[in-house]
Amino acid sequence: MAEAFLTAQELHKSFNEHKAVDGVSFTIYKGEIFGLLGPNGAGKTTTIRMLSTVLEPDSGDVTIGGYSVRRDANAVRSLIGFWPQELALYEELSAFDNLVFFGRMVGLDGKEARAQAAARLELLGLAQRAKGRVDKFSGGMKRRVNLAVSLMGHPELLFMDEPTVGIDPQSRNNIYDTIEGLRDKGMTILYTTHYMEEANRLCDRVAIMDGGRIIAMDTPRELRSQIGPPDQVTLEDVFLRLTGRSLRD
Amino acid sequence: MIRPLLVALLQVRIYIQDKGDLAFSLLLPIAIFALMYGAFGEMQFHGTAHVVNEDQGGAYSALFIEWLEEVDNLDVELLSTSKADARLDRADLLMVLYIPQGFSDRLASGEQAQLIFKQRGNGGDEGQIVASIVGGVADQMAQEFQVRGQVSEYLAGSGISQERIDITVQRLLENERESPAVVVKEETVGDSPDPVNEFLPGIITMFVLFAITLTARALVEERKKGTLERLLTTRLSVGQLFAGKFLVNFSRGFLQTLILLLLSYAVFQMFTPLSFMESLVVAIVFIAAVSALGLIIGSVARTEDQATWIAVFFTMSMVMLGGTFFEIPESGVLNVLSKISINTYANDAFRTIIADGGSLADAGLQMGVMAGVAVVGLVLGRVIFKVMPGGR
Ligand SMILES: Nc1ncnc2c1ncn2[C@@H]1O[C@H](COP(=O)(O)OP(=O)(O)O)[C@@H](O)[C@H]1O
Ligand SMILES: [Mg+2]
Repeated sequence: MAEAFLTAQELHKSFNEHKAVDGVSFTIYKGEIFGLLGPNGAGKTTTIRMLSTVLEPDSGDVTIGGYSVRRDANAVRSLIGFWPQELALYEELSAFDNLVFFGRMVGLDGKEARAQAAARLELLGLAQRAKGRVDKFSGGMKRRVNLAVSLMGHPELLFMDEPTVGIDPQSRNNIYDTIEGLRDKGMTILYTTHYMEEANRLCDRVAIMDGGRIIAMDTPRELRSQIGPPDQVTLEDVFLRLTGRSLRD
Repeated sequence: MIRPLLVALLQVRIYIQDKGDLAFSLLLPIAIFALMYGAFGEMQFHGTAHVVNEDQGGAYSALFIEWLEEVDNLDVELLSTSKADARLDRADLLMVLYIPQGFSDRLASGEQAQLIFKQRGNGGDEGQIVASIVGGVADQMAQEFQVRGQVSEYLAGSGISQERIDITVQRLLENERESPAVVVKEETVGDSPDPVNEFLPGIITMFVLFAITLTARALVEERKKGTLERLLTTRLSVGQLFAGKFLVNFSRGFLQTLILLLLSYAVFQMFTPLSFMESLVVAIVFIAAVSALGLIIGSVARTEDQATWIAVFFTMSMVMLGGTFFEIPESGVLNVLSKISINTYANDAFRTIIADGGSLADAGLQMGVMAGVAVVGLVLGRVIFKVMPGGR
């Protein structure tokens, strides 16, 4: 794990005087799964939005694959994929049309976009329903289309914002398998969650955020060992120790 | 540069998925046109003369009513005195013609006979037109009596029998009535300020402006679906996104306006080929300006409701200040305020071409202002979109 793929330096972002992200720095190495953990309102989404060029930082910078999100946003965009927490699809259109459209938006030509779309749908077992309207799909199928869209153009880095919130255990495990499968193919993944078990299982390294700051960052095992024998404490213990037990909104 | 087109095409495809929406948006201009046709289609005057004949049994009052009934586009409704008075009283009628008792006798004896109009206020538009028609018929009758009387007087004692005189004069008068020595011929030399010409510009501009809500919502809907955020992580730039949304909204507005203009052309014959093309150019620039303003609203609004209400408020104030509903005075506060309404410029430009027979060059200022709004609107919308939290 040598090659840094993403470097965030001193990111700041305020909304109306409120510091949503307050000096966040970290590095993600090529091929790892990096978890951004934190209670609600910690600043995870805001951080991801800055990393994925949706939101401009007030100060600080991010480089991805050597390109700055400030100066080379377009180069960054051709390296990243974004899997939004909620479905982000044109549900009136077919799965195939969604994939082709976003494929064109990430820079594929028409032929390549159609080829990739067909391949993805095949892979997801949706080839039969390729031309069916997404709003007629089941929840699980929609979610798979949502993921397939994120993978158009073969991004090297995939952002996932709380992909498992409010999802049944079967689908959740399916997502774990997917994430691990992608990592095995060499994709770098940043994902956020507030489920500690999940982070413990999947992540090579995690950063724990609270109040817009990173308060701890290491491998799950290393973090556990800081408060006790790593096989007896859970990441949740670490998390609660660090972030306190007061309720968040 | 193909991405804006793809964004526009995508929206078109979504749009045509919903056949109902599509049909509605194309039928709307036709429906509006039908309303307009219903309101202005029957442009010929058609009125009713309400007449009270108190000269019962009088030969000349009967003749007079007969003549009135012969007038095209005028119906005669005979009323009793009490009924007419009652209807006048409750303002159900604004003008009634009374033929007084003794009308025929007075005429026969060469005395001056009177016709009486009773009216409320100025008698109303219809009443005034009816009164002038009645006046014309009365003049004709008076003239014929005068001719008859003067001829009889002149020939008195000439040995020609009164009966012969009467028959001859009668024949001559009838000849004259059939082929008058002086006729009024109507020749249309240009557009008259008829209601369709006056109203069409207001209807087009109002119609285009109402579509601003759809433009504003297009961005917000995309935000709500989450596809906006997703798009912002792709290589689609904000400029391209705006160009795409602009294109599709512009096209829809253009298509609808085209239908409206074509129908007006076909049914009311209110254009020459040149003025039609010029009106299209005005429409294009105005739709561009409105689409750009819609994108500003879409950038400011965070929810569909916000977008709708901002757009509705905007539309209503622009329509009011734009002089669509009432004439804006030549000077004063309202006149100054009207200058901030984009509709003012659009209405002026359309009226110049449709109602006043002017050319595009005569509407240069208005066209310039609208084009400026389009350009500034697009630039400003993009800036606002970027600085609003949540934008890129
Ligand atoms: N667009 C925004 N406008 C105003 N405040 C925001 C906006 N986005 C996030 N915030 C605030 O910033 C803080 C961090 O939010 P967020 O990054 O969404 O946290 P998390 O994803 O960790 O739950 C919260 O207090 C939230 O209310
Ligand atoms: Mg979040």
